[in-house]
Amino acid sequence: MTAAAPTPTPQKTDRRSLGQSQFSVAWGQFRKNRLAQTGGVLLILVYVLAIFAPFIAPDGLSSYSTSNITRFHPPTPIEFRDPATGAFTRPFVFKYGQELNMDTFVNEYKPTAEQCPIYFGVRGAEYKILGLIPGNLHLFGTGQEKPDCNVFLFGGEALGRDLFTRTLYASQISLTIGVVAVLLSTVIGLFMGALAAFFGGFVDTVIMRLVEVISAIPYLFLLLLLRSVFPQDINPIFALYVILGILAFIGWGGLARVTRGQLLSVREQDFVSAARALGASDNRVMWRHMLPTMTTYIIVTLSLSIPGFILLESGLSFLGVGAVEPYVSWGSLLAQAQEGGLSSLNSRPWVLIPGFFIVFTVGCFQLLGDGLRDAFDPRKRQ
Amino acid sequence: MFPFLIRRFFQAIPTLLLASVLIFFVISLAPGDFLTPARLNPGISEQQLANLSANFGLDRPVYVQYFYWMKNLLQGDFGLSFQYTQPVLPVIWPRIVNSVYLVLLNLVFFYAIAIPIGVYGAVRQNSLGDKSINVVLYFLLGFPSFFLFLIVIYLILQVRNATGWDIPLGGMTSGNYDQLSALGKFWDVLSHLLIPAAVLAITDAAGLTRVIRGLMLEVMRSDYIRTARAKGVSERTAIWKHTFRNAILPIIAGIGGLLPAAISGAGFVEVVYAYPGITPMLLTAITASDLYLIAGFTVISTILLIIGNALSDILLAVVDPRIKVG
Repeated sequence: MTAAAPTPTPQKTDRRSLGQSQFSVAWGQFRKNRLAQTGGVLLILVYVLAIFAPFIAPDGLSSYSTSNITRFHPPTPIEFRDPATGAFTRPFVFKYGQELNMDTFVNEYKPTAEQCPIYFGVRGAEYKILGLIPGNLHLFGTGQEKPDCNVFLFGGEALGRDLFTRTLYASQISLTIGVVAVLLSTVIGLFMGALAAFFGGFVDTVIMRLVEVISAIPYLFLLLLLRSVFPQDINPIFALYVILGILAFIGWGGLARVTRGQLLSVREQDFVSAARALGASDNRVMWRHMLPTMTTYIIVTLSLSIPGFILLESGLSFLGVGAVEPYVSWGSLLAQAQEGGLSSLNSRPWVLIPGFFIVFTVGCFQLLGDGLRDAFDPRKRQ
Repeated sequence: MFPFLIRRFFQAIPTLLLASVLIFFVISLAPGDFLTPARLNPGISEQQLANLSANFGLDRPVYVQYFYWMKNLLQGDFGLSFQYTQPVLPVIWPRIVNSVYLVLLNLVFFYAIAIPIGVYGAVRQNSLGDKSINVVLYFLLGFPSFFLFLIVIYLILQVRNATGWDIPLGGMTSGNYDQLSALGKFWDVLSHLLIPAAVLAITDAAGLTRVIRGLMLEVMRSDYIRTARAKGVSERTAIWKHTFRNAILPIIAGIGGLLPAAISGAGFVEVVYAYPGITPMLLTAITASDLYLIAGFTVISTILLIIGNALSDILLAVVDPRIKVG
């Protein structure tokens, strides 16, 4: 049984195999994972879409007409053929008229014969991309000659605003809050875990008890409780920060525990003692020697906990405690599906469209996260 | 066993105390109290307001309120709900019971879906069935439960319109519930519960299935499974007795969390389905800042969590003889 193990034949003198860093190995592994890469690329696409949302959207975030009320307007299909001749023309949508159905007393939208041509690069609502670059150019729209013409790709919502525009603007909030909350809670978790491990004793007990208490309260109620500390009618921007802070506050416990455990075990290891013996300060030992042992773990948990936070944010907004008017997130757009009783969902299924954006984004983050986990896991190397 | 339970009990006291302090003070931080809307009502006189405020102890500082509440709590009195002007326990109890029905049925579906699929995925690893199940589950993981539920409701509406079949769409009972026989009542409630319980189970099962599959695969590669097979143990025994029992240990460790989860209700689904469970009640309680109701409920669920954790430790020792309690 003690036959000599095959002696490791010297590898071809590939420069990269000499002294590869952990990250270059992981990157090499990640490059082999097509699925994770697809997830990453699609995510970049979604984020670009979110940044340029004001340009791509045909309308402003909260612009609606008070004279021509288009509450729950159905989606307007884009036509390419002239109905009279059948020849290809400039893309257009039909103008919709409203009529009260005297049998059901429901306001019905019917396309009229009037055509609204769609132009590219029209001037419309003012906006600022990233709060910096001002503009009023929109990718497409019906122009300003016919104010009652509307192109509603996804239909209209409860106040008659364009759902497509709202969905794009909502992506800015939905994509930001989840990610930033995870980042914040990671920072808090690391800091608290490091504090507990470093000082030990009383500080350790207090922090670990706090983690225990937070995890002992059902998270949904803790979230709502914390939100109820702030009045309902605060500045909408401030409300977003509040939700961000609350999500971060809920999430740091697990990481703090792991950080504390990891740091306590690392503290006794030789390389830390060596650094100490060389006269490194506490600060340097902590930042240069102890915390870097957590890097892989943090990258993986970060990417895997983002989907959960996005789902949580959408849930809160769905309950009406997340993004408030005029701002929207995908969750708060879904809340209008409940308006007027669930049975009326039948007459306006398009209000469900924003939900698929949540599913898509969360799916992409999961693919990316799983890919990163596999890339950093030595047992899964190919 | 007994000393273990005693020790657990004493360890739980500081956590409980801290949790109650945290909850109580967070609620009192909220602007306004229950009387804020009453003050705006011209029909209620100053004297009445002062009486109400004295009755509920709102005129005293927060920490005094806390100690009064704690003293009553130790005597089994959870205080008075402002909204209902009734003791908290009788108010929340029926809601909790409703939620427990829903969650229990949900758990039945949950394990009935997750365990067979997870085991199948491990036994037939990389087969077409395994791969397609994986893709579907991956997709389901991305669905917020309330969104999946809205889609299901939309589909049900389509079916209802097409066939005229009266599938319940919300609530817990039909309008004619009072006239039904005992069996009819049971069936009525069950038919209302089926859809939300199943939808919730499907969204949650995606996670557990993947965990079970991974754990099964890990155990199946170990030496003692090979030994068991070499001894000529049947495939069925090798999988269910030798592999499965060992693979589910981490899951049993988490079973204690089910106890508080059962009374915390089904969350978003209860809201969408207009189910008379605990979640919608707490949501209104929070907007009305009904202090004692929220605090009472949270204390109950925290106690249950601690009991649940102790229970799962004991269960773990029952299933895994290597673990000793005490």
